[in-house]
Amino acid sequence: MGSKRVVTEKDLKRKEKLKALAAISKPKKLSKKKKTLKVVNNEDITFEPEKKSSKLGGKKKRKEDSEIEEDITCEPVKKGSKLAGKKKRKEDSQIEEDITFEPEKKGSKLSGKKKRKEDSEIEDKSEGVPKRRKKDKSKKAEKKETKALLLSKSTSKPVLKRNESPADEVYRITSGDEDCSKGMKKWMTEYRQNRPGLKELQRKIDEFIVAHDKREDEAKKEREKATEIEGFTVVKHHKGRKKTTDSESGTAVGSVSQAAVLDKMAKKKSKEVGIDFYRFQRRDAQRNEIMMLQSKFEQDKKRVQQLRAARKFKPY
Amino acid sequence: MEVVVSSTGAVIDPMDFKVSEALKEVQLDYESPTLTKFIDETISSIKQLINKIPEDLKVGSDLAPGFIRDVNADKFEFSFKKPAAIEIGGSYSIQALTKPSTSIDLFIRLPKECFHEKDYLNHRYHAKRCLYLCIIKKYLKASSRIKKIEWSTFQNEARKPVLVVYPVQEGVEIPGFCIRLIPTATSLFSVPKLNLARSNVRALSKDGMAPQATPRYNSSILEDMFLEENAEFVRNTFLGWKELREALVLIKVWARQRTSIHAHDCLNGFLISVILSYLATASGGSRVNKSMKTIQIFRVTLDFIANSKLWDKGLLLQPQNQSKLSKEERKQYQQLFPVLLCDSSSQLNLAFRITKQAFSELRDEAAQTLICIDKYRDGGFEEVFMTKVDFPAKYDYCIRIKADESKEVYASGFCLDEECWRIYEEKVHSLLEKALGDRAKAIRVTWKNSPSQWKIEEGFSDFSTSPLVVGILTSSPEKSFRGVDIGPNAENKVESQKYRKFWGEKAELRRFKDGTIAESTVWECQQWERHLIVKRICEYVLSRHLALPEQKLTCVADQLDFCLLHGGKDSISFHGSLLAAFEVLSKRLRSLKEIPLSVSSVQPLDSAFRSTSVFLPAPHPLAKEKVKGRAPQELPSTCVQPLEVMIQLEGSGNWPMDDVAIEKTKQSFLLQIGESLQKSWGSPCVASEDELNVLMSGYAFRLRILHERGLSLVRKKVGNERMRRITSGDTELFIRGQHSSMINGLLGRYPVYGPVVRLAKRWVSAHLFSSFVEEEAVELLVAYLFLRHLPFHAPSSRITGFLRFLRLLSNYDWTFSPLIVDINGDMTSKDEKEIYENFMTSRKVYEESPHNLDRSMFLATSYDKSSEAWTKYSPNSSELKRMVAYARKGAELLTDLIVHDQTDSQKTWKSLFRTPLNMYDAVILLHRHKLAFPQRLLSRPELIPGEMIQGKHVAEGEASKDFNPFMLRGNLEEMKDQLMVNFDPVRCLVEKLKEEFPETFKLWYDSVGGDAIGLTWDKLESKKRAREEDDDDQNDKRQDPVDVLRNVGEVGRGFVRSVYLFKSPRLQN
Repeated sequence: MGSKRVVTEKDLKRKEKLKALAAISKPKKLSKKKKTLKVVNNEDITFEPEKKSSKLGGKKKRKEDSEIEEDITCEPVKKGSKLAGKKKRKEDSQIEEDITFEPEKKGSKLSGKKKRKEDSEIEDKSEGVPKRRKKDKSKKAEKKETKALLLSKSTSKPVLKRNESPADEVYRITSGDEDCSKGMKKWMTEYRQNRPGLKELQRKIDEFIVAHDKREDEAKKEREKATEIEGFTVVKHHKGRKKTTDSESGTAVGSVSQAAVLDKMAKKKSKEVGIDFYRFQRRDAQRNEIMMLQSKFEQDKKRVQQLRAARKFKPY
Repeated sequence: MEVVVSSTGAVIDPMDFKVSEALKEVQLDYESPTLTKFIDETISSIKQLINKIPEDLKVGSDLAPGFIRDVNADKFEFSFKKPAAIEIGGSYSIQALTKPSTSIDLFIRLPKECFHEKDYLNHRYHAKRCLYLCIIKKYLKASSRIKKIEWSTFQNEARKPVLVVYPVQEGVEIPGFCIRLIPTATSLFSVPKLNLARSNVRALSKDGMAPQATPRYNSSILEDMFLEENAEFVRNTFLGWKELREALVLIKVWARQRTSIHAHDCLNGFLISVILSYLATASGGSRVNKSMKTIQIFRVTLDFIANSKLWDKGLLLQPQNQSKLSKEERKQYQQLFPVLLCDSSSQLNLAFRITKQAFSELRDEAAQTLICIDKYRDGGFEEVFMTKVDFPAKYDYCIRIKADESKEVYASGFCLDEECWRIYEEKVHSLLEKALGDRAKAIRVTWKNSPSQWKIEEGFSDFSTSPLVVGILTSSPEKSFRGVDIGPNAENKVESQKYRKFWGEKAELRRFKDGTIAESTVWECQQWERHLIVKRICEYVLSRHLALPEQKLTCVADQLDFCLLHGGKDSISFHGSLLAAFEVLSKRLRSLKEIPLSVSSVQPLDSAFRSTSVFLPAPHPLAKEKVKGRAPQELPSTCVQPLEVMIQLEGSGNWPMDDVAIEKTKQSFLLQIGESLQKSWGSPCVASEDELNVLMSGYAFRLRILHERGLSLVRKKVGNERMRRITSGDTELFIRGQHSSMINGLLGRYPVYGPVVRLAKRWVSAHLFSSFVEEEAVELLVAYLFLRHLPFHAPSSRITGFLRFLRLLSNYDWTFSPLIVDINGDMTSKDEKEIYENFMTSRKVYEESPHNLDRSMFLATSYDKSSEAWTKYSPNSSELKRMVAYARKGAELLTDLIVHDQTDSQKTWKSLFRTPLNMYDAVILLHRHKLAFPQRLLSRPELIPGEMIQGKHVAEGEASKDFNPFMLRGNLEEMKDQLMVNFDPVRCLVEKLKEEFPETFKLWYDSVGGDAIGLTWDKLESKKRAREEDDDDQNDKRQDPVDVLRNVGEVGRGFVRSVYLFKSPRLQN
């Protein structure tokens, strides 16, 4: 009976952990709400034209990924105004010729065309957007308010909305010298703030250590208290003096360097029976050895096959 | 050598296995009916075509007037007759054709009727031989079955051209198939007339002088006369002996990988087969017998080449007792030729083209290879057969001489006894040998001719358009970088005169410390320019004695120095003052009394201390104890790069037990140390919550405490459970300490190690790999080049070392082999076994996901046997793949730059370090004048319209006015306050971006000094994707890339110049 009732420290700790976990799980629910709000936002975005083009780009990228090696040129890229992805690979050999004819003009023409295309696409689709939005709004009128809320929140974050400037325009970033929420100015102020001087830092550390000790003490006491409340007394071994010897090596802590201790320990003869003492052990070891070699051979063979696939035996 | 037992019980040696695989790659399948049929048909059709040529055509010198003029032959005419015989010879006839060369030799026996018995005189034979081929060419060209015919040469001898015929029909199994038509002169002339002592070239005999012997000219004709006989001899030995044949193929592969020995003045396929035949017959003592395996024959042959004393006596193909060669004749041969390999007729030295330098090179290579076989894993297969040992990688210095227009080359005619190109080679060699003395271990000069588009009709002036290439192997740094050469004593008038004549104005009379007065040459230069002494000497001597203008002479030595220079000076010159400052610091730290625990050891950690950082910081005029006097001349920089120093405190039992408290205690100690340093010596300290920098003698030292106890705690954990949480601060410090001291030791042994590492680091960061490759990893890679240098010698020049670094990166088998760097050379086989086991466990996942390897670059050292210190998390497979691809391109470009004159303006030394920005999905360009050290930027053109044109310009930013990398002049104390230690805007930006956009993209940046950051979209893992779909949370992932990039720009406000988008992220569905 009595043995059942003893509560060990371990159990206590586990309890604490569970409590902590519970505390974490609560705010999760809250975050879910947020997520559902975001979805609304997301649907709006999907109607925008760039979405589609970017998907296409994605596919292209997948193809190109495998061919990274070919694409790489260490040549100066100054003149190497490579034409956009696909074309380049098709006419790898021709590219150089292309480049020798005024490369920049060609390139710019191409991009110009592209731009024009994109422009028209955007115009086309932007007509459609407002209509659809209206529908959405009517449907999700309830969520509108919450969405607005979210937006106002997000302004503090570096989230920009499309309507600030159209996609094709080059976005201007200010120098940021006026406010120090982001960028160079912020890094510099952070740098200065983090260096308040030796005295101040020392004070902070002292504070921390005092608080740390206090916390430790309190935690200890609380643990004891918690058990007492339930009607138990924690039975614990209290050391009579401060710990000065290392439990494992038996030497005084701090008196001898760690390396010396390890050295001494290594020199001590081990009294255990060696692993090759019994015949069966030796036999096992032998068998293991052979198994190892076998597996290594198999591995070698596999490796060779892979190497051959990679043409690693071709000495030219 | 390891031996593996297969499951069936057969014993397989990895080397044997690999060799047999390699043999399959290079050999033809002679059993294949389609192949033999194809070849037989092609050859018989060519035979037919030749036989159809009408007889009695009148042949005159008008067919190839240039050739006749240049060989200086008399006028003559003959009428064409059919060849006496046409037969297959060469490697195909003994089934030893070795890919990639797939040419079949066809011997065309010249008919006796076309020659007079005295035609051996004055190049008449050579002229007729050429004209005979001209006729054949004319008729073959007309055939529809022939695609093209080109001129080539026999063993690079211009006066002995051969025809290379490419048939229209091409065999599938032999790409690039062609047939070489080689005329032979079997029994055309009387052999005694071509005795070595006879003079057969009239142009050489001057009035009133005894005619000069023409041994090489005579050998050239004799060679043709005995060609078929010798081929027959070789064929008989090889007949039905598979192992010997395979050994021949292997040696060919081995030799071809070594450009310096597979050359016209050294080995060729035929000579290898002759040496093998010699070893396999009674005359060579039957060193090779039928019971030997292929690889054994290979070994025995190399051993014979490297070590046999018989070379001094000369090899005779005929057995000793039957030899017709008299003692006097043998002596005569040995006086004329460095190597004697007498053919079966005893009339001809088959090795008459081999030069002394080439032969010693050959023996050296063979000896090195034997070491490889003995010592390296898998019998050194990679090093012996797969590694290219070409000039740029082998030699420390390469010189290109564009001498084809130099009149001196042809001054006395193209061909006398020897051809003018060979004479010039010899001249350059002897000049350099004399000039460099013991600075050089070996000097190799070769001038490869035979351009593919050679028009023989126009003679020899266009024959050698490619440059002459010199390779120099330096002896030891003390000798090769010596500043003063002491010549003959002043009293020795004759020698002094000679010395002065050779060195010209460079020679000066000097009095030395020991009292002697001697002629000497002095090469004064800065310490950091000493690697250029060899270059200066070569340039001086060559231009003085060969009358070469500067632009014809290119010595590769300093072409990459531009990327290490800082304000026109190499920052390595600060190394001395840095070490001195460190000494002072360490003394002061040890003598500190006011702290509870005294400092027991001080160890440098930063790579600047071991002179392996790209830029060593210059002493800052304000980072000092006391700033005296007036403001410095140059504008001082705002940022100071701190150098890490590790200190240990004496032991104590009062340390706290948990991690956070330990760190805080350390910091508290540091603050106390800082304070007392400040009090006692007035060194200013800059501290934040996690670092302390001491400013002293112009440097900022960042102190860090190693707490031994924390280390052992962690260690135990590692022992029990593998891979659990090991990167605590203490372990990291400990490992870095170990690394630092080991690398320091290595630097003592190899002084060139430093510059090579610096180039390698610069390259890695210039291609924006800074976030994926640790500095220490680069150091280990380069260390490997020095420790495991075979088949080369350890590099002793930075460019060679750098090239080998690129090749190592691109050729190493990262997926299947760990790279073991045994810095102190004290690794036992047990250690190695442990490493291999660790490696195997890390590769277990390979089968399931070959693209997602753990530690894809496995770097093991004695302090880190499971590659956890530097490459545990990065580079991953895809990053490594990119790096390997870059390295391959880089190595190719660098090789090209060293050996060839560049006509392409895109191929410059600078472009090696210029990364193509369009390889990223998006690019952020930074304001250059806002970088911490703008001087370190590699010159990239300010505006690169071409590069960015395909990208979409997303954002543009203004520069912040707050930050300025240089301080304006002002009050010295105020300026001191403005100093920023360990502030780097690039690092700030990268950190913030990683924080702000987790799992959105990968950042590629340059930590040394670059103004571009590359960006690649993260691919979403499929699992994650599925989960997220459930969560309906795809907002972040689906964000428009333009929006993302604008936000990116916002994060770097004041620093980002512009943002470009190249590719949008790939999305699901």
